Amino acid sequence: MFVKELTKQYDGKTVVDSVTFEIPKRSVISLIGPNGAGKSTVLNILSRLIARDSGLVDFEGQDIARWRSKELAKRLAILTQSNNIQMKLTVQELVTFGRFPYSGNHVTQEDLEIIDRAITYMELEPFRDRFIDELSGGQRQRALIAMVIAQDTEYVLLDEPTNNLDIYHATNMMKIVRRLCDELGKTVILVLHEINYAAFYSDYICAFVDGKIAKFGTVKEVMNKQTLSQIYNVDFEILEIEGKPLSIYY
Amino acid sequence: MLTKAQRANRKKLIIMAVLVLLAAAAYMAVDVNFSNARLFQYSMRIRAPKLIVMLITAFAIGGASLVFQSIINNTIVTPCLLGMNSLYTLIHTAVVFCVGSTSIVATNANAAFAVDLAIMGVTATIIYSYLFKKTNHNVLYVLLIGTVLTSFFSSIQSTMTRVMDPNEYDTLLSTLVASFSNINTEIIIFSLVVLAAVIFFLRKELAILDVLTLGKEQAINLGVDYDRCIRRLLLGVTLAIAVATAMVGPISFLGLIIANLSRQLLKTYRHTQLILGSALFGMIVLVGGQIIVEHVFTYSVPISVFITVGGGLYFLYLLLTKRRV
Amino acid sequence: MLTSLKAPHEKRGNSIKDHRISISLAICLLLLSIFSLFVGVIDLNLGALFGGNLEQLKILLVSRLPRLLAILCTGVGMSVAGLIMQQLCMNKFVSPTTGATISSAQFGILLALLFMPNSTLWGRALFAFAAAILGTWIFVWFIQRITFKDVVMVPLVGIMFGNVISGATNFLAYKFEMTQALSTWLVGHFSLVLRGRYELVYLVVPLVVIAFIFANHFNIVGMGKDFSKNLGVHYNFVLFMGLTIAAVITASVVVVVGSISYIGLIVPNVMAMFKGDKIRGTLMDTALFGALFVLVCDMLGRVVIAPYELPIELIVGILGSLLFIGLLFYRLRHGRKAIRLKGPTFGCGAAVPDLEGGERGC
Repeated sequence: MFVKELTKQYDGKTVVDSVTFEIPKRSVISLIGPNGAGKSTVLNILSRLIARDSGLVDFEGQDIARWRSKELAKRLAILTQSNNIQMKLTVQELVTFGRFPYSGNHVTQEDLEIIDRAITYMELEPFRDRFIDELSGGQRQRALIAMVIAQDTEYVLLDEPTNNLDIYHATNMMKIVRRLCDELGKTVILVLHEINYAAFYSDYICAFVDGKIAKFGTVKEVMNKQTLSQIYNVDFEILEIEGKPLSIYY
Repeated sequence: MLTKAQRANRKKLIIMAVLVLLAAAAYMAVDVNFSNARLFQYSMRIRAPKLIVMLITAFAIGGASLVFQSIINNTIVTPCLLGMNSLYTLIHTAVVFCVGSTSIVATNANAAFAVDLAIMGVTATIIYSYLFKKTNHNVLYVLLIGTVLTSFFSSIQSTMTRVMDPNEYDTLLSTLVASFSNINTEIIIFSLVVLAAVIFFLRKELAILDVLTLGKEQAINLGVDYDRCIRRLLLGVTLAIAVATAMVGPISFLGLIIANLSRQLLKTYRHTQLILGSALFGMIVLVGGQIIVEHVFTYSVPISVFITVGGGLYFLYLLLTKRRV
Repeated sequence: MLTSLKAPHEKRGNSIKDHRISISLAICLLLLSIFSLFVGVIDLNLGALFGGNLEQLKILLVSRLPRLLAILCTGVGMSVAGLIMQQLCMNKFVSPTTGATISSAQFGILLALLFMPNSTLWGRALFAFAAAILGTWIFVWFIQRITFKDVVMVPLVGIMFGNVISGATNFLAYKFEMTQALSTWLVGHFSLVLRGRYELVYLVVPLVVIAFIFANHFNIVGMGKDFSKNLGVHYNFVLFMGLTIAAVITASVVVVVGSISYIGLIVPNVMAMFKGDKIRGTLMDTALFGALFVLVCDMLGRVVIAPYELPIELIVGILGSLLFIGLLFYRLRHGRKAIRLKGPTFGCGAAVPDLEGGERGC
């Protein structure tokens, strides 16, 4: 999957400005940057939720706009922040929706097995028959991830999955992200606000400033004093823990 | 495989269906002279078409309201609250206004209905998609503009009627607009055909309704061609409302009441059950209400008055208790 | 006291423009009023009038002049009533139509018809006053109790509340076979305005004068309870007095000509777009513009299917609802800034968000 000279404007204001990068397979890529830098917009364009103004998004050799939506749904899943599901849905039912691109409303035996595995993988068995709106924020987020797992896609796009979660649940979420890549072999692209989560759990970091890519590279390449203070306009110190660079800003 | 909740819902639906049957039987049988064959036949001939019209109306409004709620992902909005039924009466009046009240299009109920349907399908889809787009799906604005549209449409319609016949506009109005005291039974077959066609051509989209309730982004993520799907469903809703309005005239709050009752009772996301529940509730309300109107109030107060008062209060209740509107 | 504080710099900046608007409105109104006297089924002409043609003079005095006066009172009254309600509730979308005042007045009239079938115009008016005042009070009390997320929630609740009241009115009308009698008051029209049957509408004049005197009080009360306490204004008293005035104005119009929606909503909003929200400065222009608007609508209604005439309610219903929808779209596009309060920012933190179009309902 690669992106070439992607551009998007809102009301004459350029939010994404000729962005070009390629996404390495089987890795975790974090998009970081200040508010309004265009990271969420890029993610939404990658997942066809928003139409771009110009540029190219190539997905497995074909422009993303030319993919049939249903076929794409078997290869790429997106989880946005706005998941205000108003229906009375149980966890099981929500996860079942992940099989919709494959079998529509008629759930097969194979689907049921995949759903079961997804629920087990996310350790949601105790909540299987609970309604989504009765769950805590962390549990709900896990249920949504379980649905994405059931969707069984190679690519998973997450828009600020740690948002509104406390430290415990946010850290768990990041561990899950890592496992999605390491154990299930998925390519995970996510927007993050917390730089240290990005540094600790991802393989690559793509930093945005003002709609442009400020730096794209491995964690080590991005996580240095100079680059970070350039991006965020504050002073940084870099420490090393467990062989991974972590930042302190003040 | 059915879960426990689904089995319970199935039971509820069966009970409701039985209630509908009972109400229908009661409607047909109350105060009927069984001993006199001619009187019996006479009352059957009067009542049977009326009953059929009420059942069709309940199904059309119940189904359309529920689908509409799912399309715009909000349970306090129904097509009738947004003036879709006033739009239909306006279109019908405008057609008669343009072709003259003596032309075949105006005198033949079925021909008029066909023309109205075509115009309604086009205009309503344009107006309402524009409305949603322009307000960015901000539900409160959609609702407010919708209520204002209702009075806009009916003002124009009323003006047209008066221009056509300044002396006898009341009489003209009652021939132009159906009502519960003046049910349009001529188009029963046509209406059934239209509804069947809508269901047939939208069968794929109707199957997607469950997914649509996850919200636009999730629906797209799961591979739904969102915009096209919404457009087609909206067209179906429009036609169903047109059918109902053509037969019994505008009744604004019925859809709101029955769709929400169905959601409250069944507590599911499965639209086959929800739509069925909503339609059955509609049948109970209409047929039961009509029995009361005919035999308790001896026709003096039309059923739409009760529905307006009850529906208005219910709407206020929903508006004020829903935390997330 | 507010006026005296900011009078100097505001006067200097706006005085010419202020007067220009008022004067041109007044001139337009005067010309159209004279013109409207000569629109009607029977031709009047100036020569004959001055030549002492009694027949023509009679038409003028019995039918045309009363009608003109009723139109002017209606326009002034309804728009001022709307302005007062909007100021008191600090919500641009409250008005006699969207605040259940009109439907309550109709309910009152129906009760009068039911309980006192032989009542005079004044008898019905008393019922209408009582019902309108009560309906408006209940509505405002209700919306003050609730914090709304969005300003448009308030008119929505008001319209539904009005719907329920009209539904009740309809029920009683059907039950007691009064629909025919009631229909006169449902669709407002001026065709029955003749000498001896409309004078009640003059009540609008003293009420508007009172509103003018208390304009600043209404403004202060609109800023909120704490704000008015701080300035020594009796909050509840002024609030309910203002609402009462608005309700009585509305009811007297409804009793004489029937319901006329949207004027109280549209006119003050259009004026506020040009002139800002300070009630003292806009009251005069709102009144003039309201009269002008009704006059134009009435003339349209008389011309379209002459020699018949369309009820004014229909014309206003079409034009008014279009304008209202336009207003809503405008507000959506321009957000908070669209309908703003001119003048200095007040030092009251709690009140400021409300001035900008309002988060809080009332």
